[in-house]
Amino acid sequence: MQTEVRQARFADVNDDVVRSLVVTGRNYYIALGIAGFVTLTCFFFPWFYQLYYGIGAAGMNSPTVWGTYLASFIFWIGLSHSGTLLSCVLHLTNSEWRKAMYRSAEAMTFFSLFVAITMVMVHIGRPWFIHWAAPYPNQMGLWPNFRSPLMFDVMAIMTYLTGSGIFIYMGAIPDFAAVRDRTTGWRHHLYVLLSLGWRGTDKEWHRLGWAYTFLAVLIIPLAVSVHSIVSWDFALSIVPGLHQTIFAPYFVVGAIYSGTAGIVTVMFVLRKYMNFEHYITKLHFDNLGKLLLLLSLLWTYINMLELFTGWFSGTSTEYEQLKYKLTGFYAPLYWEMILFCAVAPLLLISRKFRTSFVPMLILSIAINIGMYTERFLIVATTLSRQYLPGSWRVYVPSLVEISILVGSLALFVTLFLLFVKIFPSISIYEIKETMDAPKKQGDRHDT
Amino acid sequence: MHRRNRGTAMTRNVLGLFRDPDSALAAAGRLKGAGFERPELMSPIPIHGVEEVLGPKKSVIKRFTLVGGLLGAISGFTLAAWTAVLYVHPTGGRPIITLPPFLIITYEMTILFGILATVLGFLISARFPAIRERIYVPETAVDRFAVVVACSSDDLLQRAESILHEAGAEEVRRITEGDS
Repeated sequence: MQTEVRQARFADVNDDVVRSLVVTGRNYYIALGIAGFVTLTCFFFPWFYQLYYGIGAAGMNSPTVWGTYLASFIFWIGLSHSGTLLSCVLHLTNSEWRKAMYRSAEAMTFFSLFVAITMVMVHIGRPWFIHWAAPYPNQMGLWPNFRSPLMFDVMAIMTYLTGSGIFIYMGAIPDFAAVRDRTTGWRHHLYVLLSLGWRGTDKEWHRLGWAYTFLAVLIIPLAVSVHSIVSWDFALSIVPGLHQTIFAPYFVVGAIYSGTAGIVTVMFVLRKYMNFEHYITKLHFDNLGKLLLLLSLLWTYINMLELFTGWFSGTSTEYEQLKYKLTGFYAPLYWEMILFCAVAPLLLISRKFRTSFVPMLILSIAINIGMYTERFLIVATTLSRQYLPGSWRVYVPSLVEISILVGSLALFVTLFLLFVKIFPSISIYEIKETMDAPKKQGDRHDT
Repeated sequence: MHRRNRGTAMTRNVLGLFRDPDSALAAAGRLKGAGFERPELMSPIPIHGVEEVLGPKKSVIKRFTLVGGLLGAISGFTLAAWTAVLYVHPTGGRPIITLPPFLIITYEMTILFGILATVLGFLISARFPAIRERIYVPETAVDRFAVVVACSSDDLLQRAESILHEAGAEEVRRITEGDS
């Protein structure tokens, strides 16, 4: 063990969290400025360009009518999966180590969902008709087709966005109250509204505990259903390589996998740049590393299963599809994905690796690059080679698409940077719960 | 409680601040034992064992969740089935009201309504949002544990104060509700 960590007191937690909200360094503004600028130039500008010139600005064309936009959509939905889901599971199993990290993990969920929805907007080409997906009475007597997986998507994602938004807010009410008392100006007014008048009475804690647990119980099956439904967008088609029963668990595992890697990245950044070293410790990285290892093995297993069923089916289309995936135009990407998502994570077997911060950061980013590639391959390899060889066509993303991909990342970063200055990014009261409560008499606190 | 007392006289309260949860809980127990009605605790963290001392708590949230979930299930299925009947779109001789896909809509709506009803239940049962000013000391959001009790007479005020002092309160305040 290294030097003993100083005994933190309850008041220190409030101080640290309030400081993280109100004290803003120059680096923060620089980071926010860059992220905002990149969002504007790489996301919104190309999007407006595409809106102006039409969807042809993107490289999608028959037969590959789904491109990087949908790959990004799956990626962001996937990234959203770990935050709230993991937080709910760990809440129900009373895991102490959840408490320091769940708030930012849930924020990751919320913002990646937001980015995912904007990716849909970009993809559909005419976003001003998005309300057509909503069931509302209209003069033509038209209703959406609820047999379509795309409509499942609409329902599932809106429910998930609502649920995870409520979940993160509900858990933060006591913290809003705590920072309300310490802030001034517009922040104070904001927190007065957000805290709803929380006082921390025994009754309020009791009600919050129950409501929070019920929400957790409701959100776990919801999160699992969301990515299953996203997978059915593909699996309910009859395209070789997509029409597979394994897709739902494959997507869910992949989602939690990339989401957990995302949490590692976010934890690293928070720890390093928000001075939360006391709260986010090696323990968290160790536990997240174990989880990542488990998920990577599961993911690898399902990948092998996918190859096996394709080969075992004996159908020539499925077989050709596999061959194309392993040796065709996109093969380098496939092997890159295997390297990043199946081979590299084996390093996590070593505790030393799991508890080293920088290697964990690098690995977590590599995993997410691999997972993005996976989503891209699902779309690109299958659609570019369907039944008729005459319609085969290789798909390469256009500059607009690549730019929007980069921009979506910047959009996420911008939103997250704004979040850490408005939401207490670690949970004040739950951190206190993990600390030793003040004891009766004897050891006096010199507050 | 607030409204009932408002017309007659201002409610006077005694508030004791403690450094640790155990003493605060014990003080609340003593006040309850001495016949005070509903002593209230305020704390920066949930205190364990409150129900053993102050009596069991029941919340209506679970009913809200259940009813919300059921309503969601019904409305989800109705939405999918009804709109399918309103705009008939036959595919491959399959039934118009198709169970497997409609159950997915039902499932999602069950959860959505369940979540919204849980929130509503929470707001109602915990009496949020607070419209009027309520008794509050900011220290309890940091590291102090408070016990508040409403007293109807000077006599009771003094008794409550002495109980709180005995229980080891580091500070005892009188707060008249409504004058803040």
